[in-house]
Amino acid sequence: MISIDRSIIFQIINFLVLVALLFRFLFKPVVQALDKRSNHIREEMEKIEKEKKAAEEMRLKYEEESKNIQIKFQEMQELANQEAVRIKSKIIDEAYQESEKIKQTAEEKARIEIDKLYSELKLDIIDISTEMAAKLLHERIDISKQDQLIEQLLEEAIGKIEIKSDVQYGQQQ
Amino acid sequence: MDSSNKEIVKFITPFPMTELQKNIVKNKLSRIGNIDQMIFQEEVDTSLIGGIIIIFGEMLIDCSLRTQLDKIKEGMI
Repeated sequence: MISIDRSIIFQIINFLVLVALLFRFLFKPVVQALDKRSNHIREEMEKIEKEKKAAEEMRLKYEEESKNIQIKFQEMQELANQEAVRIKSKIIDEAYQESEKIKQTAEEKARIEIDKLYSELKLDIIDISTEMAAKLLHERIDISKQDQLIEQLLEEAIGKIEIKSDVQYGQQQ
Repeated sequence: MDSSNKEIVKFITPFPMTELQKNIVKNKLSRIGNIDQMIFQEEVDTSLIGGIIIIFGEMLIDCSLRTQLDKIKEGMI
C-alpha cells in the first residue's frame, strides 16, 4: 500500500494556496493591466484613425476648395481678359473716331484755305488779265480806231435810248 | 437864244476830240435831243482807254472801253 506522506499533502495544499494567491494578487492585476493597456492602445489607434480620417477629409476639402479657387480664378481671369479686350476695342474705336474727326477738320480747313487761295488767285489773274488787256488796248487805240469806237458804241447806246423813249411814249399814249 | 436855258453836255474821252469825232457825237445826240440847246464841254481822261462818256443832264451815256473791260471783269468774278 502506497503510503502518502503528510508533508507531500501539505506541500500540495501549500502549492494550491500559492497558486490561488498568485492568481488572486498577481495574475489578475497583470491581466487587468494588460487589458487596460490593450484598451488604451485600441482607443489611441481609433483616435489616430479618426484623426487620420479627419485629416483626409480636411485634405479633400482643401483640394476641393483649391479646385474651386482655381476655377474661380480662371473665370475671373477670363472675365478680366474679356474686359481688357472690350476696353481695348473701345479705346481703339474712340481713337479712330477722334482721328477721323481731326482728319475731317483738317480736310475742311484745307478745303477752305484752298478755296480762299483759289479765289485770291482767280481775282489776281482777272486783275492782271484786265490790266494787260487795258494796256494792250491803250497802246493800239489810235485816232481812227477811236472814231470807229465812238461811232459803234454811241450808235448802240443812242439806239437803246431811242427804243426806251419809244416805249415810254407808247405807254403814255 | 438865251444861253441860260441851254443844257450842258460833257464829253469825256481818252484823247482830245477831233472835229470828226465831235460831228459824229453831235449827229448821234441830235436823235435824242436838240443840239442847238446844248453847250458842249470836253474833258480828257486817259483811263478810259477808248470810246466816250457823255454826261447829258441826268443821263450818263458810258461808251468807254474801261467800262466795257470792267463789265467783263465783273462777269468773270
